[in-house]
Amino acid sequence: MARKFSLHIWVSLLLAFGLAAGGCAQQSGPAAPPGGAPPAQGSAPKGGEFRINMSTEPDTIDPNRANFTTSILVASQVFEGLLTYDKDLKLVPGVTREVPSVANGGISSDGKTYTFKLRSGLKWSDGKPLTAKDFVFTIKRSLDPKLAAPYANTLYDIQGAEAYNTALGTKDARKEASDAQLAALREAVAVTAPDDGTLMVKLANPRPSFLQLMALWVAWPVREDIVTQFGEKWTEPPNYIGNGAFVLARWAHNERLEFTPNPNYHGQKPNLDKLVFLMISDANQAYLAYVNGELEATAVPDANTKLVMADTSLANQTVRYNELVIFGFEFNAKSPPFDSAKVRHAFAMGVDRNALIEKVAQGVGKVAYSPVPPGMPGHDASVGKEFDFNPAKAKQLLAEAGYSDPTKLPKITFSFTDTSSNRIRAEFFQGQMKQNLGVEVTLDPLDSRTYQQRFNAGQFQMVYGGWGADYPDPDNFVPELFKTGSGNNHTNYSNPQVDVQAKACQSETDEAKRLAACAQAQKLVVGDQPWVFLFYRERFWLLKPSIKGFQVTAKDQLPGNRFYNQLYVQK
Amino acid sequence: MFVLRRVLWLGPVLLSVSFITFVLMHLVPGGPWDSDKTLPPAVIENLNRRYGLDQPYWQQYLSFLARALQGDLGLSFIRQNQTVSEILLQGLPVTASLAVLALVLALVTGLTLGVVAAFRQNTWVDYLCVAFATLGASTPSFVLGILLVLTLALGLKVVPTSGWGQPQHLVLPALTLTALPAAYIARITRSSMLDVIHQDYVRTARAKGLAEQVVILRHVLRNALIPVLTVAGPIGAHLAAGSFVIETLFAVPGVGRLFVQSVLARDYGLIMGATLFYTVIISLANLAVDILYAVVDPRIRY
Amino acid sequence: MLPLSRGTGTVALELPGARGRLRRGLWSDALRRLLANRLAVFGLAVIALMSFIAVFAGLLAPHDPTFQDYGAVFEAPGQNHPLGTDNLGRDTFSRLLFGARTSLTVGIFAQVILVSIGLPLGAVAGFFGGKVDNSLMRFVDIIYAFPDLLLIILLRSIFGGSIFMIFVAIGLVEWTGLARLTRGQVLNLKGQDYVLAARAMGARWHEMLARHLVPNGISPIIVAMVFGIPRAIFAEAALSYIGIGVQPPTPSGGTMGPEGYQAILAFPHLILSPALAIGVTTLAFTFLGDGLRDALDPRGYR
Repeated sequence: MARKFSLHIWVSLLLAFGLAAGGCAQQSGPAAPPGGAPPAQGSAPKGGEFRINMSTEPDTIDPNRANFTTSILVASQVFEGLLTYDKDLKLVPGVTREVPSVANGGISSDGKTYTFKLRSGLKWSDGKPLTAKDFVFTIKRSLDPKLAAPYANTLYDIQGAEAYNTALGTKDARKEASDAQLAALREAVAVTAPDDGTLMVKLANPRPSFLQLMALWVAWPVREDIVTQFGEKWTEPPNYIGNGAFVLARWAHNERLEFTPNPNYHGQKPNLDKLVFLMISDANQAYLAYVNGELEATAVPDANTKLVMADTSLANQTVRYNELVIFGFEFNAKSPPFDSAKVRHAFAMGVDRNALIEKVAQGVGKVAYSPVPPGMPGHDASVGKEFDFNPAKAKQLLAEAGYSDPTKLPKITFSFTDTSSNRIRAEFFQGQMKQNLGVEVTLDPLDSRTYQQRFNAGQFQMVYGGWGADYPDPDNFVPELFKTGSGNNHTNYSNPQVDVQAKACQSETDEAKRLAACAQAQKLVVGDQPWVFLFYRERFWLLKPSIKGFQVTAKDQLPGNRFYNQLYVQK
Repeated sequence: MFVLRRVLWLGPVLLSVSFITFVLMHLVPGGPWDSDKTLPPAVIENLNRRYGLDQPYWQQYLSFLARALQGDLGLSFIRQNQTVSEILLQGLPVTASLAVLALVLALVTGLTLGVVAAFRQNTWVDYLCVAFATLGASTPSFVLGILLVLTLALGLKVVPTSGWGQPQHLVLPALTLTALPAAYIARITRSSMLDVIHQDYVRTARAKGLAEQVVILRHVLRNALIPVLTVAGPIGAHLAAGSFVIETLFAVPGVGRLFVQSVLARDYGLIMGATLFYTVIISLANLAVDILYAVVDPRIRY
Repeated sequence: MLPLSRGTGTVALELPGARGRLRRGLWSDALRRLLANRLAVFGLAVIALMSFIAVFAGLLAPHDPTFQDYGAVFEAPGQNHPLGTDNLGRDTFSRLLFGARTSLTVGIFAQVILVSIGLPLGAVAGFFGGKVDNSLMRFVDIIYAFPDLLLIILLRSIFGGSIFMIFVAIGLVEWTGLARLTRGQVLNLKGQDYVLAARAMGARWHEMLARHLVPNGISPIIVAMVFGIPRAIFAEAALSYIGIGVQPPTPSGGTMGPEGYQAILAFPHLILSPALAIGVTTLAFTFLGDGLRDALDPRGYR
């Protein structure tokens, strides 16, 4: 009897569920294409709010100390750098009047001196004037070893920068520096403000992608008097003074951030009254909050893709775009059997990428054969097609490598950070190897820090990993990941020919020659298959039809976050 | 006297817990600066110095103790602009309000169901109560949580799906949080009631012709409450420490998420602070239970 | 407060000399009573069936539980797949059968470890009281408070994510609740008249513990253990939710829960089948626990 009762409860819950799910579909409003072109400035209706989920509390919102997406996302609403990006990720002036170039005299002919001309009448959000001196302070602050900015090394091209930031040495080679010595090193960093409207930066060596680096958060301006006066508390509103389109009005820790328009912003002032970032970590819950009208935009949880596509009104609210992010299965080139290129090629051809994207991921994502993603200079769709799914060829290659009996391969352990989506991809790989090649793979799920430590120390055989661009230039992909000894080359991959091309890709001043070197480097890397390049990540979101002026780029922290000032609510 | 002794015992307990935790967290692989993007060695050294991680372990531990004695639990790595004490104090009222609500709900539901079931043993009322208790104990909280969201938030539209700040935000997490302890208390109450009902002194009391209400109140409930108290203490402490799953599910900014987040991020400062905080809560809850024992059952001597 | 002296008539039967003669009768009585209890028999039958499934999962499953069929991803229940398929096109029914093996192993072995630590510690603490009690209970406080997640991550990093590791870890950190419960029961019973009588007659402490205190105080403990089995399965599920679950592709009730949860809105069958399986298992253990408690009661009033 009790058993019947408990079954009955399940059935009624099931019914409740069914009804509720039915309800979702009905109340999602009239179908309308999301986004749409932004209206001319001034014509958009004012007011309203836009609520979006940022998932977790940022570890800091100090732009100079930012290391993670959440931090950059928050700072990006409140700060604006010298340069910024348009919707096609081309560099455009931020607080400067123009993008420096050799033609306009902003870059010296030897490529080592950069001059930034600031707009006139710039103000901080509290109304005080913003000058080039603020940028001098900021860049030196980012390099201060006592601030310990994680991205400080992106500024090392500046004369004196590396010496200052590394004055305390490393764990294995510690150095001490007195306050006077540090002050002298700080003084020697070649960033100066000849006048309030001019910033001059001298480089130690030419770095063609330097302007991209100056658009990063380490160079977003913070105010000396605020930082000095409030210390760690300077990031709490109302101390959090910036120069971007919004100001931070409220920060309920671990719960929400609320922004209001900055009346002193030099560019297009926001149409919205309020911008809200919520911290809902559970993806299903965020989705339900959207359905229930508590959010204006949400990510669609992986498993819900088909549900959304089949729902006529939800299908019209989707926002899909590819990001500058590559995912793949990475080999440790020093760990047998992956020291053999033939084995790597065999494994690559044993993976059915289309099954992963079309079936398992339900069509979200774009199949990849090479590292540089589409939407970036240097992407080449023709590279790497020879490693497409081909189990017969794969078995033949294994035999050529001496493993005609795949059970004779050394034990293969595949490590990954234990999240639900990684788990699916790891199990997919395991199934592919077993079903297509007869190879047994042991899976090793790890918590993120254990995984990262082993990965960084090269203690793995194979991993599932990815790489996202910090800035849209191929030098942030091929040299960063595959040059011998590069900080983010964890696969022990080394090819002297790649190194030559990678170096040119980073430092050649003739842009055409440089891009050719990047392309050549990518071709060589793909030929060696240090990774099985799998897919470029795609975002799959929903946006309420009432929200207009939504504009995404391939390098957003949250969809559209570069242009939230253009959003407006259509009643 | 007894209470004073127990409070004094807190010192050695805290010391041992802090030591074990310190050793364990440095034995666990991975450090706070490990991330998918590798930081250069010089940057890592700068970070270590900023947070005093460049010192030898024994020195780090001693300076932690010295600071902790003055009430300073140090800095967090996952919330860099706040101190550990600030973070805990922000989460505490949130978790505490949920915990109190959930505990009261669990005791009321659990005791009622348990007592009713015991007095109607082997009738359909009993089976109904047992079934409820089993269901409560056998549904994972994230499933129960989402079912409540679908029915109460999306279906009936009486509460929001998640979030914090208004009274209606308490409803879903408190209900989800209550299910398991309510079921557990119902079971424990029922079985210990049955034990007591059939004790000789209860029969005797009935035989003496005492009114049924007096028998139940004076003899049965009082004695049957002891096992319930034993579990209510740890349940209360558990609730006070917060639930990772439920706080995550409902985006509640409590302390429950902090324990897991700090361990997963190797946030050494927050791990130590949160653990000591948890230890104090557990110890005080257990002390309260022991005092209650003595009140309920005068035969118990310490 | 109670007419204690009147109870001695029953207690006489329980005295050490008399007990030896009665024992066989007591156990066969208990078995007879257990088998007469329909719900308990039902519970026993379900557990036997689960154990059978767990042992012979390989023969019963219609499909290889790890075989991925990309042509049949997220299929609804149908002829070929009675409970549908998951995100990799694997047969949910087969995974559930194999998952029963994992979950039962985790649940039962974690309980064995937990009981073999918690029961003796709690009984000894409650029985001796004073200094022994105090130091043991402070030890319990320490174990209870220290961050078990750190220990689990450490054990995993050393021994890997095998199922064996999961239940050792759960057993090692979860015994404290049982210890406190046992202690509370023993404290309560210690003051009962028949125990006082036994002591007065010079029974040795281990005899009293084994013959009187543990058997008489066992029912809430059995209830706690029965609840402990699904709790261990939940603990495993929570670990998967946090991201330190059992090594794939091994299916388990615990991992199938969070896996199904990801798809709860679109494909509810993926969460309902493991949740139902856990529910039925819990129910079975509950009925068996109740039956056992009634059957083992020396007074045999039910």
